[in-house]
Amino acid sequence: MTDMRVEFWPAVKKVLLYVLLCSVTFVVCFPLIWALSTSLKPKSEIFAIPPTLIPKAMTLENYEALLTGRQQYYQSGGTAQPSGPTPAQFFTRWFMNSVIVTIGSTIISIVVSTLAAYSLTRFRYWGRTAIPYFSLVGYMVPSIIFVFPLFLMMVRLDLTDSLWSLIFGYVCITLPFCMWLMWAFMRSIPIEIEEAALIDGASRYQVFVNIVLPTALPGIIAASIFSMIVSWNDYLFGRVFINSLDNLTLTVGVMLFFEGTHVDWGLLMAASVLMTLPMAILFMALQRHLVAGFGAGAVKG
Amino acid sequence: MQVSLTRINKRFGSVQVLKDVDLVFPSRKFVTLLGPSGCGKTTLLRMIAGLEDITAGSIRFGEREVNKLAPRDRNIAMVFQSYALYPQMSVRRNLGYGLRVRGTPKADIEEAVGRVARILEIDHLLDRKPAQLSGGQRQRVALGRAMVRKPDIFLMDEPLSNLDAKLRVTMRGELRRFHLDLDATTIYVTHDQLEAMTMSDLIAVMHQGVVQQFGTPAEVYSQPANVFVAGFIGSPPMNFLPGTIDAGRFTFADAKLPLPALPGGVKPAHAAILGVRPQDLIFEGTPAADTLTGTISLVELLGSEKLVEVNLSGQKRMSVQIHADMVVNMGDRVHVKFDPQRVHVFDTESGRSLRAG
Repeated sequence: MTDMRVEFWPAVKKVLLYVLLCSVTFVVCFPLIWALSTSLKPKSEIFAIPPTLIPKAMTLENYEALLTGRQQYYQSGGTAQPSGPTPAQFFTRWFMNSVIVTIGSTIISIVVSTLAAYSLTRFRYWGRTAIPYFSLVGYMVPSIIFVFPLFLMMVRLDLTDSLWSLIFGYVCITLPFCMWLMWAFMRSIPIEIEEAALIDGASRYQVFVNIVLPTALPGIIAASIFSMIVSWNDYLFGRVFINSLDNLTLTVGVMLFFEGTHVDWGLLMAASVLMTLPMAILFMALQRHLVAGFGAGAVKG
Repeated sequence: MQVSLTRINKRFGSVQVLKDVDLVFPSRKFVTLLGPSGCGKTTLLRMIAGLEDITAGSIRFGEREVNKLAPRDRNIAMVFQSYALYPQMSVRRNLGYGLRVRGTPKADIEEAVGRVARILEIDHLLDRKPAQLSGGQRQRVALGRAMVRKPDIFLMDEPLSNLDAKLRVTMRGELRRFHLDLDATTIYVTHDQLEAMTMSDLIAVMHQGVVQQFGTPAEVYSQPANVFVAGFIGSPPMNFLPGTIDAGRFTFADAKLPLPALPGGVKPAHAAILGVRPQDLIFEGTPAADTLTGTISLVELLGSEKLVEVNLSGQKRMSVQIHADMVVNMGDRVHVKFDPQRVHVFDTESGRSLRAG
């Protein structure tokens, strides 16, 4: 009798736990699953009642439309008419814009924050302990506060409606946190390994490149992912700094699918899925380093 | 390569860490900087390595002043307390890094790394990363990295302190053997007087940034220059009794104890400290003018010896080391005696030995 209980209850508990976890996961992931499902449906099936989770007639036409920029025709009063420039035609361009500003701002943020963190942890000068904390305060200020002054600066620099304005804008909001993260990470690298390299015959530059950078790599990866996510997902700066269709980024561009008289849900969902993909892949590929990077920062910072 | 330090001073802000250090480390000798933590020994080593600026004074390797030379131009090697292995590199690359950055041809690096790895018996570990090694293995890699370049001077900063006690004893012997094979001057920093005694040709005992005594292990043990050296060297530590010297005898409480000749000369009723090692004390059957009487308060068996704590009058305690077979009990009343030639006498005011003259 007692044996039965010992074996029975833990098993039931385990099953209940998994049922609970699975349902929570499903609820959290449902919008994503629905988006994926809708993006694969032909137009006729999108509003079908009852709704289908797995498309009956699966199609890639939405993806094809986005990736080839094919002109869309809409049935209008019996004859097919060209619809004028549609968001779908700009999709690949916006995608590339997003890639450019994300990578550009991340490279600048990482180079500057890595060098700054190295300096802050290795050289003695006034304010070197206060700077990292102040930079964190800067990060806590909502980015809407920065938009107006930054916009004015971009106007003066004649950078409005250029990708540079976004690159610099994203550097402004990602650099403080990247620097703090790299600073916390650099502090955990023992100075002795650098001294050992100096004695071994390395120059300061060699020490930095051969010893410090490889050791700081998990931190650099963590900071890069953070910076890329912020830049990739930004809507605010893209909306304010850019005013031509050619220079929009994905987040702002995808919103244009809602404008006009007709919302093509299949296209919109396909665009959303494609927009999510790079970050999802990046995350999966690098999450091991991400944990190591944030972990080290947490312990020593 | 002889290393000469002349009036070396080091200040961190307003804190004076080293005061007028004058030392000459003879070529090919194993010299130890010994002292408690905070005595400045590691700072001094780092100054020799070029990792720390010199506030004042001069460091010379042979005839050449190296004050302004970068660490990599000094042809030194250093073993750090934390080993400081390069975490991203395999053992092979760790060992070869010094040669690689100096532009040594690949084949020569391979050969040198292989040779050192064989000597240190780490050739089977060459493709591992430091994180996959045990403490003792890391220690050997750190040592190998120092040996591979054939430096003129070896600097070691407490290299054994992270090892367990047994391994430490083994490595002590090995370090000493490597030193003899390598033909380089070794400067070794430790706070462990036993390490210093067993490994060194010469010991510089340091305290509060000042060199207290520089001599062979036998000298610092048997002729300590002052109270600090006497108390720091030797285990169990030396007993000290405060008293006065009158007419060639040391007065402590009621006892008048015999003294050796004091060439330094003494004033009448000279305030002094008598130092005597636990090994130099014996129990005497009957009380006499030259014995100290007390009660046994603690007996510790050390193995082949016993350490006996004796409470004397005036709140003073003495430890006496006796053979383990001798039967003593707590509470026994005992009379302690010593050979006057084996005691040390220090001036109370200056702490200096009065036997040195």
